[in-house]
Amino acid sequence: MKDILRRHHVLKEEIVELINKQIKMEAHSSSAYLAMAAWCDVRGYDNSAEFFFKQSDEERVHQLKFFHYLTDMECDAVSPGTDMPQHEFPTLRSVFEKALEMEIAVTDSIHNMVKVCREHGDIATEEFLRWFVQEQIEEEFVARRTLELFDVLGEDKIGLGLLEQQVLSVQYDGGNA
Amino acid sequence: MITATSTEHLVYKTRNASLSQSDSTNSYILRFFNDELEFRACEFISFKRKIQQLDLPQLLSTEAPDVEVLYLPHCDRLMVLSIHEILELREVLAGAFTMLELNSVIHREIVRKV
Ligand SMILES: [Fe+2]
Repeated sequence: MKDILRRHHVLKEEIVELINKQIKMEAHSSSAYLAMAAWCDVRGYDNSAEFFFKQSDEERVHQLKFFHYLTDMECDAVSPGTDMPQHEFPTLRSVFEKALEMEIAVTDSIHNMVKVCREHGDIATEEFLRWFVQEQIEEEFVARRTLELFDVLGEDKIGLGLLEQQVLSVQYDGGNA
Repeated sequence: MITATSTEHLVYKTRNASLSQSDSTNSYILRFFNDELEFRACEFISFKRKIQQLDLPQLLSTEAPDVEVLYLPHCDRLMVLSIHEILELREVLAGAFTMLELNSVIHREIVRKV
């Protein structure tokens, strides 16, 4: 009897389910960042808005990476409907706090996926996830650093103005500096 | 009716259901009461997931008749399933997947190694 299943059933169902959940999470992040960008934009924080527009695009790219991985493996990729993200924030600082919180949740989720891959001996998916593990180090670094700017610069008009000047230049150096 | 040939292997059987694999068409054949459905592998996997995801407690608790209507896009058909039928489908699919995965193990450990 041929092994037809293996030819088409490359990933374990539990892994497929996890990746589909992650696709939804990335989609939600993308839409949440868009809402943050809108909040910043209408209040004149143009650079912060740009920061979040860029983040939103990146999350969409992450979503697609997972999506293509599933379709490439001939597994069912589910295009997610997303819940309404938070649109109202009390302060600019709280927007960035929310952003960091979201990134930490994503990191936890990715790490959990790696653990499950190890349990199932899914070496290919674990390898695929390596990029995301690195990416999250960077995302969290940027979110944390940006948030720290509020402490360094203060939150009066001058401080927020300076923050606006610096927010787009926060970058992760890959641990080289 | 797809007749059983030497390239068709019975994978798992319950009272009213059976699942076979056809090596000539690379497909799976589900016989359920007097019905016969053919699936390609990916369709078969998503069919199994659909059956697993049916919410039985909810089916029992609602006012509506206790049947579930399931659409099968690959053959453009509707299945109307009672709770008993859903349970039997779950049983035959669980058994079949266990056997198919066992077959994969045999291929990995024995057939592909020689
Ligand atoms: Fe992401």
